[in-house]
Amino acid sequence: MTLQFLVDLSGPLVMGILLGGLYALIALGLSLVFGVMKLINVAHGDLVILGTYFGFFGMTGEIFGHRLTFLGIDPIVSLVVGMPLLFAIGFAIQKYLLSRAVQISMEAPLIIAFGISLIVQNACQRLWTPYSRGLTTSYALDSFNVGVFNIPLVYLLDFAGALVVMLFLREFLRRTYLGKAISAASQDRGAAQLMGINTGRVYAYAFAIAMATAAIAGVFLGLTFPFTPTSGVSFLIIAFGVIIIGGLGSMLGTFLGGMILGLAQTMGGHVLNELGLPGAATGQYLILYIIVLVVLAVRPQGLFGR
Amino acid sequence: MRGIIHRLRGGLIPLIALIVVLAVLPIAGAPRSWLLYLLLFFLYLAMANMWNLLCGYSGLISLCQPAFIGLAGYTLVIWAWHGLPIYLGMALGAIVAALFALLISIPVFRLSGIYFAIGTLVVPEALRYMFLLWRPIGGSIHGGGAGYVLKGASDFSTAGVYWLGLGIAVASALCLRLVLRSRLGLGLAAIRDNDRTAGSSGINVFRLKLYSFVISAIITGLAGAIFYIYQSYVEPNSAFSVRWTMILILAAVMGGMGTEGGPIIGTVIVVFLHFLLARYAGISLIIQGTLLVIIMLLVPEGITGFIRKTRTYRYLLQLATMRAN
Repeated sequence: MTLQFLVDLSGPLVMGILLGGLYALIALGLSLVFGVMKLINVAHGDLVILGTYFGFFGMTGEIFGHRLTFLGIDPIVSLVVGMPLLFAIGFAIQKYLLSRAVQISMEAPLIIAFGISLIVQNACQRLWTPYSRGLTTSYALDSFNVGVFNIPLVYLLDFAGALVVMLFLREFLRRTYLGKAISAASQDRGAAQLMGINTGRVYAYAFAIAMATAAIAGVFLGLTFPFTPTSGVSFLIIAFGVIIIGGLGSMLGTFLGGMILGLAQTMGGHVLNELGLPGAATGQYLILYIIVLVVLAVRPQGLFGR
Repeated sequence: MRGIIHRLRGGLIPLIALIVVLAVLPIAGAPRSWLLYLLLFFLYLAMANMWNLLCGYSGLISLCQPAFIGLAGYTLVIWAWHGLPIYLGMALGAIVAALFALLISIPVFRLSGIYFAIGTLVVPEALRYMFLLWRPIGGSIHGGGAGYVLKGASDFSTAGVYWLGLGIAVASALCLRLVLRSRLGLGLAAIRDNDRTAGSSGINVFRLKLYSFVISAIITGLAGAIFYIYQSYVEPNSAFSVRWTMILILAAVMGGMGTEGGPIIGTVIVVFLHFLLARYAGISLIIQGTLLVIIMLLVPEGITGFIRKTRTYRYLLQLATMRAN
């Protein structure tokens, strides 16, 4: 009986870790922007969803209620266009809006990001209707067995994607000139400027890179969950929870934070199910948010923060 | 008492005249649609005033105002469902909102600035999920299973709700003025400008912030309850929606944060936009979001701040003071 209990538990355990990969992936961009510019981008969730819808557009060709039949690209392949697109949008947002906003007042960037979030939400609604959609690719429902576990393919893709992006970002920040410049500007803007780094441009690149990761996160999110134009807020809050738990601004911490929240969600859902409570699907999100609030109350610097 | 009246002085006579005109409008037979737009104006004004108190005067960028609105609405509906009087339910809604503000102050007041903003953003979302799950009243499932109709809302005429709205708008403005002209207001301004200096000058930073947070929760809650009397139906997705926050921010930012007149001008514009954009409901958020961004970038001090800077205003001010002398 004990063995059966453990086997039952191992399912949500594996799923939680894999789901954590997706959460970490969503949070990486937020974490990068925060780490570099000390700015919480409230539009992050909506820009991730914009990435999702771009993948959706590439796959179905649907826009403004019309259907462009010549499209039909796999969402992951469509990232070839989606990433540069969001990169450009991110660059423009930072260069023309946020860089000016930080000079105005402390709350100005927040309010402007809030405005951007509304614009993106409404634009997605106009372009792709407010209905719930999903990236239903041919492999979306595939799963395979490893020992006793039955693992959905997309969850594994989420995890692999997160790992690749996290490692790539880490190495990028450590090894390339631009990466080092970003790190320098995040540690001490004034000193970096004195060393001849154009911090304004570096910030714009950092934001743009964060948006490119948001495009990746968006596609994997769409493969995993159904989405609507307003889903952004929920994922923003999850991503915020991830970086709170992982300690703000650290890439590895973000990754671990994602795992913890993913585990909390699936384990919470599992326990609710075992107890026979109704609404386990909604309840697991509630558990997630309560954990975020509790961590804020107990350790605002995050579990891995100093 | 005299002290209080003294603090409220300044530009009261035209204001009272305006309030009297607004109050007799329903009796004078103004069309119902006017009254409803004015009602929205009153409620948004009360909420925007309280957001102004938090953001403009206390430096707290609170994104959890929908929590107070939704909680007060739900309290009212649950209370009324048990056949209890609606007025008491309104008061109870405000109390619940205040208690909730106290409760969440424990985690979110450990954060400051932008962190506070995001910490508070989590709250309405958590409540939304909670109310999607929780069935406080058995039976009568309506709209996603978690929405409820307000019993006894039909007893209220449009004029009745209108007067309630007018009352809360006036109360919020007086309350704001009273707070600002008291020691609390001075302390809050000191905290907003520099909380460390304020703290070292003997101001209890935590307590003052908490006071303004709870005051704003009470009045926002009352305004929310009145809104749900008017709408007579409450449902988690709209009750705890970010749209509330957007309206408040838009009103306060456009009018000018940290000024008493700002939210009034801002709310007039917001309600007027509602009226104008009713036909373009599909893109109204795009327009409002763009306005928010443009105003924040070009005139961060808002319309009131902008007017104050112009030459005509200074000239007029000069004229006025000269005559006074």
